[in-house]
Amino acid sequence: MTTTTDTPVTAPAARTTPAKRPGGRQREGAAWVFLSPWVLGAAVLTLLPMAVSLYLSFTDYDLFNPPRWVGLRNYTQMFTEDPRYWRSVGATLTYVVIAVPLQLGIALVVALGLKSMRRGRGFYRSAFYAPSLLGASMSIALVWRALFNDGGTVDNLLGTGGWVNRPGWALFAVALLTVWQFGAPMVIFLAGLQQIPTELYEAASVDGASRWRQFLSITVPMLSPVIFFNLVLQTIQAFQVFTPAFAVSGGKGGPADSTLFYTLYLYDRGFVASHMGYASAMAWVLLIVIGAVTAVLFRTSRTWVFYASEGDR
Amino acid sequence: MTTSTTPTGPSAATDTSAATAAVRKPVARRRVALHLGALAALLVMLYPLAWLLATSLKPADEVIASLDLLPGSLEWSNYSTALDGVNDVSVWRLLSNSLLIAGGAVVGNVLSCSLAAYAFARLRFRFRGPLFAFMIATIMLPHHAVLIPQYIIFNQLGMVNTYWPLILPKFLATEAFFVFLIVQFMRGLPRELEEAARIDGCGPFRSFFLVILPLTRPALITTAIFTFIWTWNDFFTQLIYLFSPEKFTLTLALRSFVDASSTSAFGPMFAMSVIALLPIVLFFLAFQRFLVEGMANSGIKG
Amino acid sequence: MPGNRTRKSWRSRIAAATALLVSCSLLTACSGPDGAGGDGGKVVLRYTWWGNPDRAARTQEAVDLFEKKHPEIEVQTSFSGYDAYKQKLATQAAGGDAPDVMQLDYRMIDQYASGGVLLDFAEQRSVLDTGEFDAGLLATGKVDGKQYAIPQARGTETVVYDTAQWKKSGVTLPREGWTWSEWADAMRELAERTGKPGATDPGQSEDAFEVWLRGRGKSLYTEDRRLGFTVDDLTHWWTFADKLRREGAVSPAEQTTQLDGTVENTPLGRGRAISDSNWDAPSSGFVALVPDGVTLAPMPSGEDGTPGQYFKPSMFMGVAADAGHPEESVQLVDFMLNDPDAAKILGATRGIPVNETLRESIAPGLKDFDRTVYDYQASLEGDLDAPPQAPPSGDSALQTTFQRDYDQVSYERMSPREAAEDYVTEAKAELRS
Repeated sequence: MTTTTDTPVTAPAARTTPAKRPGGRQREGAAWVFLSPWVLGAAVLTLLPMAVSLYLSFTDYDLFNPPRWVGLRNYTQMFTEDPRYWRSVGATLTYVVIAVPLQLGIALVVALGLKSMRRGRGFYRSAFYAPSLLGASMSIALVWRALFNDGGTVDNLLGTGGWVNRPGWALFAVALLTVWQFGAPMVIFLAGLQQIPTELYEAASVDGASRWRQFLSITVPMLSPVIFFNLVLQTIQAFQVFTPAFAVSGGKGGPADSTLFYTLYLYDRGFVASHMGYASAMAWVLLIVIGAVTAVLFRTSRTWVFYASEGDR
Repeated sequence: MTTSTTPTGPSAATDTSAATAAVRKPVARRRVALHLGALAALLVMLYPLAWLLATSLKPADEVIASLDLLPGSLEWSNYSTALDGVNDVSVWRLLSNSLLIAGGAVVGNVLSCSLAAYAFARLRFRFRGPLFAFMIATIMLPHHAVLIPQYIIFNQLGMVNTYWPLILPKFLATEAFFVFLIVQFMRGLPRELEEAARIDGCGPFRSFFLVILPLTRPALITTAIFTFIWTWNDFFTQLIYLFSPEKFTLTLALRSFVDASSTSAFGPMFAMSVIALLPIVLFFLAFQRFLVEGMANSGIKG
Repeated sequence: MPGNRTRKSWRSRIAAATALLVSCSLLTACSGPDGAGGDGGKVVLRYTWWGNPDRAARTQEAVDLFEKKHPEIEVQTSFSGYDAYKQKLATQAAGGDAPDVMQLDYRMIDQYASGGVLLDFAEQRSVLDTGEFDAGLLATGKVDGKQYAIPQARGTETVVYDTAQWKKSGVTLPREGWTWSEWADAMRELAERTGKPGATDPGQSEDAFEVWLRGRGKSLYTEDRRLGFTVDDLTHWWTFADKLRREGAVSPAEQTTQLDGTVENTPLGRGRAISDSNWDAPSSGFVALVPDGVTLAPMPSGEDGTPGQYFKPSMFMGVAADAGHPEESVQLVDFMLNDPDAAKILGATRGIPVNETLRESIAPGLKDFDRTVYDYQASLEGDLDAPPQAPPSGDSALQTTFQRDYDQVSYERMSPREAAEDYVTEAKAELRS
């Protein structure tokens, strides 16, 4: 990888966009060269398994015997005969609504705070990222359970009783584990902030714009592609939340199914109960739901996400 | 608890380089407040990590039952047990296996994802919209649903019990997360960059390597950091594809201290998780600097 | 197995598609080296099991000895914790890549056998000697009359209690042949005198329910793989547990929900109860957790004295139906189960051996908790009924359903009857398929 360049680059606002680019055919060929690893991976390692799972979703497949075609039975069973399925949908939606804004909000605030610091930035950045290094391992799950148990640290400090062992509270303990590990979106925000050219702020200062004004008219629009990225990805990941709940509840989604998130139940159906056909159907319903939510996000993005490469219209 | 994404108070002070000499005093006070706030937040945030460290030194009967932070007595043998490794495979072997996989994954992801991202972000080709949508869709299907088909494929390719299933997908840009990440950063770069490069006689390849890649360095560093950490911690894939203990990783060995059907060893497991944490801490410390420096040297200041 | 051929063809269709896609693309050079390849014309076997590092070390030692005695065979071993093992093996089996020799649980046998994954040991009768095995135990590895798995070790359930605390309380100590109502009284008294619940709430445990059910002359499943009990039976059991829990005689829902199979997370392991019902060998974990030690007592019997507990094979060995070297694979099984030197190395790390001669021969060498388990089993020898056959395929799903449904009872979201109806409905659906 090249790490330095002397290519002269001028400030973005200084140039006008030239007319239509020529040489489409040649560029198209170049595009496919750049895309070739992705195309190969997408076809063999992604598209093919996805097609198989779509097929399996219309079958009764127990992992050991050949799949048996059952048409839409898995889907109808899911929607009409499985109260636990709907419990898992409810838990997942609650989780998404709690965890995504909280995690992104904290990550953004911390990233902005870090950027405005002159000293100790490296230290703080590392320290705030530290929890995210752990993932949702077995050991962190045990720590979490100890902290949020009755008689644990949180109970002692706040007098709330145990969280992980009460149905109304356990979901918050799991959500907090995710929020606590806000390092990934924070780092992405930081990287995005780094990309904002400083001369924009300098110019604004010269014009006498207040800090708040600068934040609204420079930081927010320039950071909007990254904010959008974090929003989309964290939403997708929150819908698929698995590991924290699996670890904290020992794989059961308890107490009383309160943390039985969608993918946890999917895993339970597919690998514990050996109903891989049913699990595949669940997966495809989730794909459609997430797809719809993402499509809405993309649509709204046109009104608030600003791409420098598309000019400032 | 606030759910607002609007930064308030000191955080809004994003200006670092403008001349602010005129308001030095309030700024100094603001900085002190900022540091105090950050330290207080860290105290809360790092408490569970302190707990993890302390637990790795607790004797067996305290690991779960005791709700005190500090161990009653120090049990260093947790570490010596963990350092013995598992089943004749030394901890150093496990460590180097983990490093090999994570290192390979980093190289693969940075290379392949930036290539694909460049095409999606800055080149025009047929079906770009649908293909991009498809790429985003691939992260929407829970991976448990494609696990078995993928296993069958790798088995047919004769790659089970090798590191290929863990590394090869990274060279084929299968992690749409990173492609999308880099796409977003590349779209943030002004179109004029390539125009300028083209006038200087650069084709798409040279302008990719010479102009675009250096400017997306924060995103590439981010990709490298996340890939390393996430691959390191990815228990599941390693479990499924690795068979021989001498090919095991630290993360896999970590789990083998806990077996519900026989006696578990939680103490050594905590010790092992601290040991397994060290390399990724070092990796993060080494690379996080570039997140900042990346931009300062890149020459976009003009 | 008739299903075998179709199973292969559906997988080979994916294989064909893979090949097509790979060759369509220009990059065909990436196929890696085959990890399972043998060296020097040796027969290579893959052998997997679940367990902890201690078991791994001893198993490796035994396998080394096997390789020494059979220089023409190389054994590649692998292990993981139980939960991880279960998923890994299922994925391997579904992918047509089951290891040659595998350790199996009671609950896996029916599923793996009916899916055509396992070899019928009758095909290698000359290599495997089962003369030293109890016929009843051996029968647990049969499906449709064919021997698909051989029991390796046996275990039985126990009321494991904190010796010092129970004695100090003055409550009558458990004895063989005590009944469930005597057990319930003891729990109430313990709770009253010690201020702690007497035991883990047994309502969530399918195993405890089975012991109770057998004490009443019934069973979880009938021989034709249907449900062996009614909604009324289950309602009765859950009402029994529910009442004790409300009285504080057994652990509250907040404690019970934290069970994850490890002894560390049981109420007894946390010092929040006086006893636990568990399997005998895994109870060794309590030794490090309960300062003054634990004692193993028999499970309660039915009111007429019918014993509910039984010697259950704690693990089996099976060989893959498509093993490349079935004879050598079965040789390894025979060695692990019948070789006196192997038995000496393995001791009781997998539980007390099923081979009767070996069981007696290793007895003098057993120490510490292994000795305790051996003595406990010896005290029950001859008093227990034969074990049931391996549970039907749907059971692994039902085990978690059992816990989930009782969770609804203990958090007072369903009545015992509602939960029991839910369970039975689901069980019937599972067992039909």
